[in-house]
Amino acid sequence: MSWEFFGVTVAAFFTISLYSFLYKDNSFYKLAEHIFAGISAGYYVGLVWHSVIKQQLWLPLMNEGQYLLIIPGILGILMFTRFISKISWLSRLSLAFVVGNTAGITLIRQLHGMILPQVRSTFLDLATLTGIVMIVGVISTLIYFYFSKEHKGALGFVAQVGIWFIMISFGASFGYTVMARVSLLIGRAQFLLTNWLHIIK
Amino acid sequence: MNSFFKIFAQLKDIDRRYIFLLIGIAVILPLIFPLGLPLGVTQPSKSLYEKVESLKEGSVVLLTFDYYPSTLPETEPMSYAALRHLFRKNIKVITVTTIPLGALSVMESVVKNVAREYDKKYGVDYVNLGYKYGYQAVLLGMGRKIEDIFPMDAYSNKLESLTLMQQVKNYNDIDFIFIVSDNATVDYWISLVNAQFGTPMGAGVTAIMAPKCYSYLQTNQMVGLLGGMKGAAEYEKLSSNPGKAMRGMDPQSIVHFLIIFFVILGNLGYFVTLKKEGV
Repeated sequence: MSWEFFGVTVAAFFTISLYSFLYKDNSFYKLAEHIFAGISAGYYVGLVWHSVIKQQLWLPLMNEGQYLLIIPGILGILMFTRFISKISWLSRLSLAFVVGNTAGITLIRQLHGMILPQVRSTFLDLATLTGIVMIVGVISTLIYFYFSKEHKGALGFVAQVGIWFIMISFGASFGYTVMARVSLLIGRAQFLLTNWLHIIK
Repeated sequence: MNSFFKIFAQLKDIDRRYIFLLIGIAVILPLIFPLGLPLGVTQPSKSLYEKVESLKEGSVVLLTFDYYPSTLPETEPMSYAALRHLFRKNIKVITVTTIPLGALSVMESVVKNVAREYDKKYGVDYVNLGYKYGYQAVLLGMGRKIEDIFPMDAYSNKLESLTLMQQVKNYNDIDFIFIVSDNATVDYWISLVNAQFGTPMGAGVTAIMAPKCYSYLQTNQMVGLLGGMKGAAEYEKLSSNPGKAMRGMDPQSIVHFLIIFFVILGNLGYFVTLKKEGV
């Protein structure tokens, strides 16, 4: 038995073990689930060690004399002070940096890359039926989320239209979700039938 | 009439494992005995294909592998189809991932397989940058200088030692970004890279993400979109490169028919039962 076939058989065993949950909860399912969690954690630690700590901190610091990297290095170490209650407050320095940095990037990103282009293109196509449907959809959906006034009369009617648009979008998302889940099953079936059992080429 | 109510009452209490079994059969049989059901091509897939088709020989494309192994049936065929199309057109390819778990191995395997098929040389025709932690910083940093973010490629070669990377310094030197993603990174590529650097891009995403990503087509932030296995199959068809996605479309269609049948049956049973109970 070749190593490749052994690897494929192990993968097939775990695939079947995980699908066995559809019949009922069992030890094979639990075994596969726990092994997956453990391997993922181990793999992630190894990857971060190699691609972040070694490549982006240790080697540039030691070989290229990029001493400014000591600052993010210290900030990273400070995160571990959370495990020592007396000095755990120090980790807030690192967290403050992360929160501030993320907020700054996200603010620009959302405004410049999401909200403005979306708003601009909503009103581009007023002359077509699609454009009108889009404007009605956007405005009525936004009004549905306006909660400072009771949804009665004209406001209630527009909010009701908004609910219809939201429901249609949920329907589209559900349809796509079904396709996604079926695709995953097809992928596993292809793996079992092609790579493992060699029934199909 | 009573027997009619009885059938629906029995169906209501059916063990769901029978439905799982039927779905399983509906997936396996068409894989073994393909039916060759027709496959239409949607405009977003066609637009993406045409954009790649319009790129000149020697152009540089950044191909991302931003997905976890759990979505391989949808995303991997997109990567294969895209890379084959790019290499066939003699376009230089830089691959990268912002996903830590598994994407690196998948990327390496796809790139190596397709490079071998088209006899492409590493460092000259393609470069694999690998993975780097912190996608926001990575995406923004690559706009200034790729080498700052990736001093070394996935195989620990210095970037400056690779011929292709000597001419590609940042997004200004990249003609197109082909994103293959199963998560929110596609939003970051759009809102950070396209919005700030203006690099044209298109994406292949999982079916779950597709409805959200359609809004980027309307804003022209993306030139085209592949949605799920269907999108991958469409790209395979357009690039005359049938693969796993096209093969998966027969079971996909049959299972959808089955699910629609179950939805109708379930709702019919629900209303019939309500009527019987006089609600």
